[in-house]
Amino acid sequence: MPGPPAALELIGLTRRFGDVVALDDVSFRVEAGEMVGFVGPNGAGKTTAMRIALGVLQADAGEVRWLGRPVDADTRRRFGYMPEERGLYPKMRVLDQLVYLARLHGLEPDDARSQAARTVERLGVAERAKDRAESLSLGNQQRVQLAAALVHRPEVLVLDEPFSGLDPVGVDVLSEILRGQADAGAPVVFSSHQLELVERLCESVVMIDRGRVVALGRISDLRARDTRRLVRVEVTGAADGWLDGVSGVRVLERLTEGAIVELADGASSSDVLDAARAAGAVRHFSIVQPSLSEIFRREVAR
Amino acid sequence: MSARRRMWPIVARREFVERARDRGFQVSTAITLLLLVGVIVVSAAFNRPTSFDLVVVGAGSEVLGGEVRVAADALGFEVKVLALPDRAEAERAVDAGDADAALVNGDAIVVRDEPPEQLVGLIQAVSLRERSRQALVAAGLSDEQVDAALLQRPLPVEALEPVDARRSESATVAFVGVLLLYGQLFAYGYWVAAGVVEEKSSRVVEVLLATLRPSHLLRGKILGIGLLGLLQLLLIGLVALFASNAVGSLEFPSGAIATMGVVLVWFVLGFFFYAGLFAVAGSIVTRQEDLQTTMTPLTILIIASFIIGLSATGDPDSTLAVVASLLPFSSPLVMPTRIVLGDAAPWEVVASLAISVVSTAALIPIATKVYSRALLRPGRVRIRQVLRAGGD
Repeated sequence: MPGPPAALELIGLTRRFGDVVALDDVSFRVEAGEMVGFVGPNGAGKTTAMRIALGVLQADAGEVRWLGRPVDADTRRRFGYMPEERGLYPKMRVLDQLVYLARLHGLEPDDARSQAARTVERLGVAERAKDRAESLSLGNQQRVQLAAALVHRPEVLVLDEPFSGLDPVGVDVLSEILRGQADAGAPVVFSSHQLELVERLCESVVMIDRGRVVALGRISDLRARDTRRLVRVEVTGAADGWLDGVSGVRVLERLTEGAIVELADGASSSDVLDAARAAGAVRHFSIVQPSLSEIFRREVAR
Repeated sequence: MSARRRMWPIVARREFVERARDRGFQVSTAITLLLLVGVIVVSAAFNRPTSFDLVVVGAGSEVLGGEVRVAADALGFEVKVLALPDRAEAERAVDAGDADAALVNGDAIVVRDEPPEQLVGLIQAVSLRERSRQALVAAGLSDEQVDAALLQRPLPVEALEPVDARRSESATVAFVGVLLLYGQLFAYGYWVAAGVVEEKSSRVVEVLLATLRPSHLLRGKILGIGLLGLLQLLLIGLVALFASNAVGSLEFPSGAIATMGVVLVWFVLGFFFYAGLFAVAGSIVTRQEDLQTTMTPLTILIIASFIIGLSATGDPDSTLAVVASLLPFSSPLVMPTRIVLGDAAPWEVVASLAISVVSTAALIPIATKVYSRALLRPGRVRIRQVLRAGGD
C-alpha cells in the first residue's frame, strides 16, 4: 500500500561524466523526521547524487521530488546544503556571509539578520561573528559552514560528509543538532564513510557502490535480513594463524589480537571457543550482530 | 516567501558593498584623488605667466630696466625690477638666485650660469634700440626722424594651424579621460575575474549554486562591480572638475563636463563588453596564480587599444583611429577622444555605440555558458571543450 508521499525522494537518478557512469538509476526516499545515512566508498556517487538533489548538477535522467512534487529552484531554496568541499568567502565577515546566504535562500533582510545572529549564537561562534572567515580556526570554520546550511530554517537537510574533520566534541555537537532538526520534522540525509557513526545516529541507511544502490532500509531490518552467525573472539598470546585450523570458520575482519569470524552451516561457536582456549588466554568471546561495515561488504560482494 | 524573487540584485549588492568596504579600495581611491588634485594644482602653478627678477645698478640702468618691464608686459610676461646700490650687491643677488639677471651701468648683463633666454633677449633688444637711438641722435637726426626709423611695428605672425584654446583644452581633458578609462577597465575587469576565481577556489560557489543559477550569479557580480566602477569614475571626474575649476585652469568647464559624460558612457560600454570575457578568464582557472595567464589576451587587447587611444589625441583622423573607434574592444578607449576633439561624424558615434551594444549582447550569453559550465570543474578548463560538452 503506497503511503503518503515521502518528504524527499530521489527517483531513478542517472548521470554520466564522459564514459564514466557516476549514478546508475539511484532511487531512495527520506521521510519527514527521519535521519538517513548515505554510505559508500569514495567515488561511489554520493556527492553526485547530493549535488543533483540540490540542483548544483543536472541529472541525465530521473528526478528529485519533495512532498510529492518535482523540486525546482524555489523549493530548493528551502533546503539546507553542506557541500563536501567546504566553501566560505575567505575575506567576508562571518555574520555578513550568513546574512547574504540567508537572503539568497529567500529570507527578508530583517529576518536574515536576526536568523544569522541566532545561528552563530547556537553554534557557539557568536564572538567571531565580526571576523573574516579566513581568520577562524578550521573547527570554527566548520561550524560556520554548518551555520550556512542552517541559517534559513531549512525544511530539508542534505549534508555531504558533515562529520569529516570534526573532533569528538564537534561530532557530538553536530549529532545533537542534526537529531534536533530531524525531531523538528525535517528529512535529514548525510553522507559519511564513518559507518559506526551512521550506525549510532541513523535509523536508516542507503548504501551505494559504483553508482548503484546496493542496499537500503532501516538498519534493524538490514541486520535482521543478515542471517550470518558471527563470533568475535580475542585471544592473548596466540600464534598467528591459530584460526586456520578451525573448520567451518571464515575470517571477516582481523582484530589486533583476534578476529570477527563467520560460522558456516554446521559449524558451532563452541568449536571456535575450544580452538581459542587451546591457542592462548581468551580475553573476549561473544556472538555478535553484523555491523554496518559487514553488511556493506556483503552487499557489495553480491 | 515570495515565489519568484530576483536573485541578482542580492548578489550585486554584496559585490558592491564588500568591495566598497575594502580598506585597499578606499586607500587607493583616496590616493588617486590626491594625486589628481596634486597634478591639477601643480600644473596650474606652472602655467602662470612667466616672471623674472631683474636687478639694475648704476646710471642708465634704471631707465632701461623700466623699458624692459614695459616691453615684457607687451609680450605677456612679467619682469620685476629692483635697483641696488652697487655691482657687488647685484652680483650677490644673482649668485644667490634672488635675481635672474643684473643690468650693470646699462652696458653689461650679469647672470649666474645659463642665461635666461627670454629675459636676456629682451634686454638685448631694448638696449640695442636705445643705443641705435643714441647713435642716430648723435648723427644729427631729429627726434621725429629717429622715432620714424625705430618705432616699427613688429612683423605679424601668421600661424598655418592656429592654436584653438578650446580644442587644446579638450585634448588635455580627453587625454586624462582615456587614462582613467584605461585604468578603470583594467581594474574592474580584473575584479570580475578575481571575484570569479575567489568563489571557485574557496568553493563557496557550490553553496551559492544550490540557491541560484550561474547566470544570475554572473549578472549580479558584473552589475555590482560595474556600478562601483561607474560611481568611482564619477567621483574622480567631479573632484577633478572642481579642483581644476578652483585653481582656474579650466577655461571651458562646459566642455570638460561634456567630456566626462562621454567617458562615463564609454566606461559602461567597455566594461560590459570586457566583463563577460574577464569572467570567462576567471572561470577556467581555480587558482589566482593562473589568472594572469588566462587574462593575457584581454590585457594585450586593452593595452593596444589604449595606445591607439593615446595616439588619437594627436591625430584623431588617422585610419587606425577611425577603425579602432568602431571596433567594440577598442572603441571605449578611442571614441571618446574622437568625439571630444570633434572629429567623429555623428554616424560614426551611433555606429560605434550600436556595434558595442550588439557585440556585448552577443558575447554575454556565450560567456555565461562557458562560465556556468566551468564553475564546478576543477583545474584548468579548456574553453572549447566546455562549449562542446553537453549539459552542465
